[in-house]
Amino acid sequence: MIAHFDVDAFYASVAIRDDPSLRGKPVAIAGSSRRAVVLTASYEARPYGVRSAVPLYRALELCPHLIVVAPDMAKYKAVSRQIFDIVAERGYPVEALSLDEAFIDLGEAGSETAVAEVVKLRTDVLARTGLTISVGIATGKMIAKIASDQCKPNGMLAVPPGDERAFLAPLPAGRLWGIGPKTQARLAQAGVTTIADVATLDDARARALFGSWFDNVRELARGVDRRRVEPDRETKSISSEETFEFDVRDEARLREVLREQAFDVARKLELEDLSAATVGIKIKRADFRVFGRQTRLAVPTRDAERIFAAAGHCLTRAALNGAPVRLLGLRVGSLVAGMEKQTSLFEAAPQIVS
Amino acid sequence: MKFTCNTKDIASAVGAASKVVNVHTTVPILSNVLLTAADGKIAVRATDLELTLEHAFPAEVGEGGAVTVPAKLFSSYLANLAPGMLELTGTPTRASVKCERSNYDFNALPPDEYPPLPSASKSAQFTVTGKRLRDGINSTIFAASNEEARGAVLMGTLIEIEGRNLTMVATDGYRLAKWQTTMDEGISGSERFIVPSRALAEVARNLGGGEAIAVSALGAQNNQLAFSSGDVAITVRLVDGQYPNYGQVIPAKFDRQIVVNTQALIASLKRAELVAGDRASMVKIAISNQTLIVTASSDISGNAYEELEVEQTGEDLTIAFNARYLLDVLNHVDGERAVMEFLGPLSPAAIRPLQPVDGEQQLYVLMPLRQ
Repeated sequence: MIAHFDVDAFYASVAIRDDPSLRGKPVAIAGSSRRAVVLTASYEARPYGVRSAVPLYRALELCPHLIVVAPDMAKYKAVSRQIFDIVAERGYPVEALSLDEAFIDLGEAGSETAVAEVVKLRTDVLARTGLTISVGIATGKMIAKIASDQCKPNGMLAVPPGDERAFLAPLPAGRLWGIGPKTQARLAQAGVTTIADVATLDDARARALFGSWFDNVRELARGVDRRRVEPDRETKSISSEETFEFDVRDEARLREVLREQAFDVARKLELEDLSAATVGIKIKRADFRVFGRQTRLAVPTRDAERIFAAAGHCLTRAALNGAPVRLLGLRVGSLVAGMEKQTSLFEAAPQIVS
Repeated sequence: MKFTCNTKDIASAVGAASKVVNVHTTVPILSNVLLTAADGKIAVRATDLELTLEHAFPAEVGEGGAVTVPAKLFSSYLANLAPGMLELTGTPTRASVKCERSNYDFNALPPDEYPPLPSASKSAQFTVTGKRLRDGINSTIFAASNEEARGAVLMGTLIEIEGRNLTMVATDGYRLAKWQTTMDEGISGSERFIVPSRALAEVARNLGGGEAIAVSALGAQNNQLAFSSGDVAITVRLVDGQYPNYGQVIPAKFDRQIVVNTQALIASLKRAELVAGDRASMVKIAISNQTLIVTASSDISGNAYEELEVEQTGEDLTIAFNARYLLDVLNHVDGERAVMEFLGPLSPAAIRPLQPVDGEQQLYVLMPLRQ
């Protein structure tokens, strides 16, 4: 069985836990900049329409007595680590999706054993962190995730083996993985609104609606989900980016930002004991056009100055000529394990035996 | 302009020049080659503003003048012609070609918009044979940096002339190649030029067969270098900057030495490199008891072990290198046997031919990997 857990209103719950005066009130976690959006809203704020990704000014219109709390990423990371440690203690493989969400592979355990394990886990997390998690349990990842969503907050929902298709049948087709709003609208036009409708499509219609992956979609709709939990997903790239409160035209200022990001990325490389052989930048211009530049290093590095030099070179090549920039990011890739091994001719004077 | 020439002559000149054209250029005229007719000769020129290549060939010039033609299109057209004669008539907007029973009009751009070459100055005129220059270039440029982010200086190759001594040096900071020879005639005083390495590759390709190559500095600040021989000339914009003090990083003395059969070591390293796998492709070299042992391993591929007989002088040593860097050097070092010299596992190692070949001195310095 596979379990999917999600911490209830994670950032908001941490804030309320640490400041009981917020309990029972509408709380939103958001930055203070002009373009801030709500990162998490407490359950008390949600009836007003305040939820994640809503612009802060809009959230305050919807709920004028909303209490806005600044995010504390360092604290969230620490709490997240604590929760993942509790999960890890139980010895099951874990695939983290974000700071507050993960799949757990409960192995060959039957439904009842799985439920018992999850009950222990939820009790443990609450006792040791003061936070509640919602957990869905099923034979596949997709259903486990839908189940945890449905039982929020502070809930648990198990879909026993054999009940998958019945569980999915009444849900809107858009709940299937890979079906976004556009596809959903197209399906609705064709009279396909529920997952049951998708599950019963014949080959010809399924192919017409979904193209070459029709079989996968229909299998998912019938409750067949073969994807396994993939623990310790390998880091492919590391990045750092910043959206500016006001668009930046000054290249010297952009360079300063890249320097900070280079140090940030170098620190992350060190934490993961990696070195990078490619360095790239990402630029979103004021007109929302996104583009990038990338350069390859002869020798992989985790040195902040070398990463910064390469990123600066990319910025020069981007030839912005004063165009306003809304977002700037630095990304390193082609990661290899360990420190830079290649020694350098000019950085260390050779030992000369006299 | 108007001229008549052999199809083979014009095809080879335009073909060679068009290799210089940068296909990504945003300046339309730089996609073209410039053909100039004068004194019974046609000069074909292409440039990417850093490097200019000119090939000339004889022709019957009816009317002097110039025309520019799209390089890739024109060279592909010429490459498909049968041997014979062709007649070309040029205007500022058109090049018309008659050949056998075919007629082609190519759209042209005004030749006066073509970037001019700087005029020659007298400084640093010296002459070197094509073979010497080619040897120097081939011995060094591979060690230059190809990492744009570290700047143009390390991507260049240093050419130093001091009296009759000609020295070329290239380094990317991890390995260094130095090549030296004595010229028949030198210059008074000394000169240093940092030349883009890819331009030197063009010099070796286009001029390497020349008897005598004249090298001279051009431009107001002597910021260009011209190489010419016979009907071929290459002009290159020099890199502006300070070349690292390479003499300082070449150890004056080593305390351990081996003499090794170069081809045998190359063969062993090529096999071991396959197993080394990861990006740094680390091979370890252990020297002990007149034997060199190459080992490599990776979690994915397994283990490699190779033994070679060597002549060892001095203490035992284990040192690690990037297999690619070591192979690059061994593939360029002259002669059947090479000398490798060491100071310790984290100090620069030197590699050179056991005997200098043809009065040319090669020296390679290679930095090890931390184990």
